[in-house]
Amino acid sequence: MTTTAAPATATPVVGFDQVTKTYGSVRAVDGLSLALHPGETVALLGPNGAGKSTTLDLLLGLKNADSGTVNVFGTSPREAIVAGRVGAMLQSGGLMDEVTVGEMVKLACSLHPKAYKAADVMARAGITQIADRKVNKLSGGQSQRVRFALATAGDSDLIILDEPTTGMDVSARQAFWATMREQADQGRTVLFATHYLEEADAIADRVLVLHRGRLLADGTAAEIKAKAGARRIAFDLEGAIDEAALRALPFLTSVDVSGQTVRIQSSDADATVHALYGLGVYPRNLEVAGLGLEQAFVAITQAEEAKQS
Amino acid sequence: MNALIKLELVRAFRNKKFLFFSVLYPAILFLIIAGNAKDTRVDGTGLTLPTYMMVSMASFGALTAVLMGNSERIAKEREGGWVRQLRLTPLPGRGYVLAKTASAAVVSLPSIVVVFLAGAVIKHVRLDAWQWLALTGIIWAGSLVFAALGVAIGYVASGDAVRPITMIVYFGLSILGGLWMPTTTFPQFLQDIAKWLPTHAYAALGRAIEQSQAPHTTDIAILAVYFVLFAGGAAWLYRKDTLKA
Repeated sequence: MTTTAAPATATPVVGFDQVTKTYGSVRAVDGLSLALHPGETVALLGPNGAGKSTTLDLLLGLKNADSGTVNVFGTSPREAIVAGRVGAMLQSGGLMDEVTVGEMVKLACSLHPKAYKAADVMARAGITQIADRKVNKLSGGQSQRVRFALATAGDSDLIILDEPTTGMDVSARQAFWATMREQADQGRTVLFATHYLEEADAIADRVLVLHRGRLLADGTAAEIKAKAGARRIAFDLEGAIDEAALRALPFLTSVDVSGQTVRIQSSDADATVHALYGLGVYPRNLEVAGLGLEQAFVAITQAEEAKQS
Repeated sequence: MNALIKLELVRAFRNKKFLFFSVLYPAILFLIIAGNAKDTRVDGTGLTLPTYMMVSMASFGALTAVLMGNSERIAKEREGGWVRQLRLTPLPGRGYVLAKTASAAVVSLPSIVVVFLAGAVIKHVRLDAWQWLALTGIIWAGSLVFAALGVAIGYVASGDAVRPITMIVYFGLSILGGLWMPTTTFPQFLQDIAKWLPTHAYAALGRAIEQSQAPHTTDIAILAVYFVLFAGGAAWLYRKDTLKA
């Protein structure tokens, strides 16, 4: 591994070293190197087709890399799973039709070498009251919770969640993440892929941004936002607005004028605001704010698209 | 893996339609076909029609149990992602297929025994004790050939296509192989085809026992070749599927 951030004694929970996976002419994962460390809660972000699913598949040994190595707890992914160290919930993971939720969870528990009691697993996943229901008769959110129960049937050290809250309503989603935090607080490493960036912002202590199979950004949510570089400046102007003058302000990345309201993104908000006053205007209701993770994510990936095209 | 076999069984026994077609249907068909022709001897075998048909229908029942459920389940569960989900557990990869085969084998035993009971009790088929035991054992063991075929179909067919493909194979093998009527009633060209089919060799094993003979080497060889073909095909398809899953 080229990563030296962790102490040399600690084996990374997950180590990707120059991993490449291609489908035909498409490089789904392109020379990816990364290391996850014990106890981290990591969000994996990326636009559709960025290689998130392939990355998770490689990590779980469902696919083999064309080149490079994937290690989980210093062993192959399959060995780590057989040792019961990995619990995973995949979007593409199905359930066994015509059996009940309770039977399904019991099966997962009996397959796990460090299993919890099925009743406890169901209680934690919030599916005790649907234990007698057939798994093919569940709502989307309920199936997700059953999948979560399967992923947490035993005392695994690493939990992988692929779009875990898809199909859940807002309150179910909050309940889900509360449960997930408990898992993380017990010292587990959690890696989750999500489309809801506010989840990544609120829950992850580290965010990985994938783009075209490469790692575009790796840091805390705050660092990612800082990396996106931009801050939002919004204000109102009275009378006629000289848009050309606004556009000439330094460090702008975008300008949007609607009615009397001006919204600007700037890579150096201090300098931009300073120059704004230099125009001799009187901005009212001035707000300067950092980008949300979502906007930062869009900014980073779009900048990369622009660089490549 | 025992837990998975148990759950597969729970599921199989919960499925009334599957139970009817694999356990009761062959016995009912047997009672209808064997009719009252107690003294009719089937050409060239010296066996009465009920005795002859009893082996055919027991074989048919076992075939139904091992072929019908598994091929469709495997194809659907591959598409639905259950196979992927299982690969995230410590269960060895082949455990899934083995559990399916084992649970089919458990269901196929009653389908054989029910036909035998109908034969012995209602149609007064009389055989020696060793013959009953040998028949049960050989028909049960022989059904493994078709269990392998079921797995292979499950891995080759998509969820939409699996039912028609299974049906064609199932009825094709049953009828052409002579499980529904003696192949001696077929036109010559069909008889020439039939004698190379695994179902024909399968029923012939049981019939040899009814005639107090050792099963013919040709039949055993034919079944062995088919088993290698089906099991090899299933293993190959399984591996291919694992790589792309």
